[in-house]
Amino acid sequence: MSIKLFMKSLWIFHLNSGSCNACDIEVLNVLTPYHDVERLGIKLVASPRHADAIVFTGPITREALPKAVRAFTAVPEPKAVVAIGSCACGGGIWYDSYAIIGGIEAFYKILREKYKVKIPPTVYVPGCPPKPEAIIYGIAVLRGILRQKQRRTYFTEEEVPELTKDLIINIEKYMESKS
Amino acid sequence: MGARFHIFKEALRTGVVTKKYPFEPVKVPEGFRGKPSIDVEKCIGCEACVNVCPPNALSAEVDLNKSVKRIILFLGKCIFCGRCQDVCPTEAIKLTREFELSTLTTNDLYQVVELKMAECEICGKPYATIRQILFMAKNVPKDQRPLLLLCSECRSKVSAKYISYARW
Repeated sequence: MSIKLFMKSLWIFHLNSGSCNACDIEVLNVLTPYHDVERLGIKLVASPRHADAIVFTGPITREALPKAVRAFTAVPEPKAVVAIGSCACGGGIWYDSYAIIGGIEAFYKILREKYKVKIPPTVYVPGCPPKPEAIIYGIAVLRGILRQKQRRTYFTEEEVPELTKDLIINIEKYMESKS
Repeated sequence: MGARFHIFKEALRTGVVTKKYPFEPVKVPEGFRGKPSIDVEKCIGCEACVNVCPPNALSAEVDLNKSVKRIILFLGKCIFCGRCQDVCPTEAIKLTREFELSTLTTNDLYQVVELKMAECEICGKPYATIRQILFMAKNVPKDQRPLLLLCSECRSKVSAKYISYARW
């Protein structure tokens, strides 16, 4: 699902949607000469109307929701979204708070139902806060430069011993035979 | 002219500090708390990590129809505190030094471990995972081990019966 839309530079607009500032500091860290994302054509812009991608940090609080909707709709199409931090990915430590709506997924649900907005390609960067390298990796995944490593894994037990009285009483022998 | 030359010399002496990250691997420091991952061979499904997880990134659900227990790890809530690693009795869950976790869907942020549960010999209710019983059995005296095959309610009834026999 990676996008090939932004083949050249990607201008990003950073929106703090109720974050604790840790992710914001990491976003600033990415722009310092040490990591220097401007060498990759990524530039922070002041207005959402100039941006290609919008960066959300933080669980979207109820106070930030109308502003987030305004900023989101102001970004011209085609656009992309970067959700930075565990809070933006799924609510993080605030997942059951009354004051938040619960991450980008819940935000998209509101956008789809109330505003009939098409959902753009999104990259989720979990971490609390994510390393600056993790943010660069996330944007590389979004642009299709690097491949996604993290996959859903589902484990099911296949061989299980049948629980009997003999097995339970002579558990030491069973453990020895197993190892 | 001299001042400019001085700056140029200084820049040459310092060299380039910028990391070439996406094109070169980066060194992760020792003890970095990265992605927690469950070793599926060691996990016994005791829910110690579920109890201690501050943002409930780890959760457990019991499927009574299939008699299985699922331990679900969702990285979208994880705050990488490492408490689960401290409480795990079998050292199954550990924080790795992996940090490249970005995904294009939240579905990829899940790790699910499904373990089979034992059913009570008397009432037939699933009460604990088989691995958990095998893990526990070592620490129980031999004459009391058959009680492990019962659920907590039936166990209390049976042991009460034993006690009353012993008295008379």
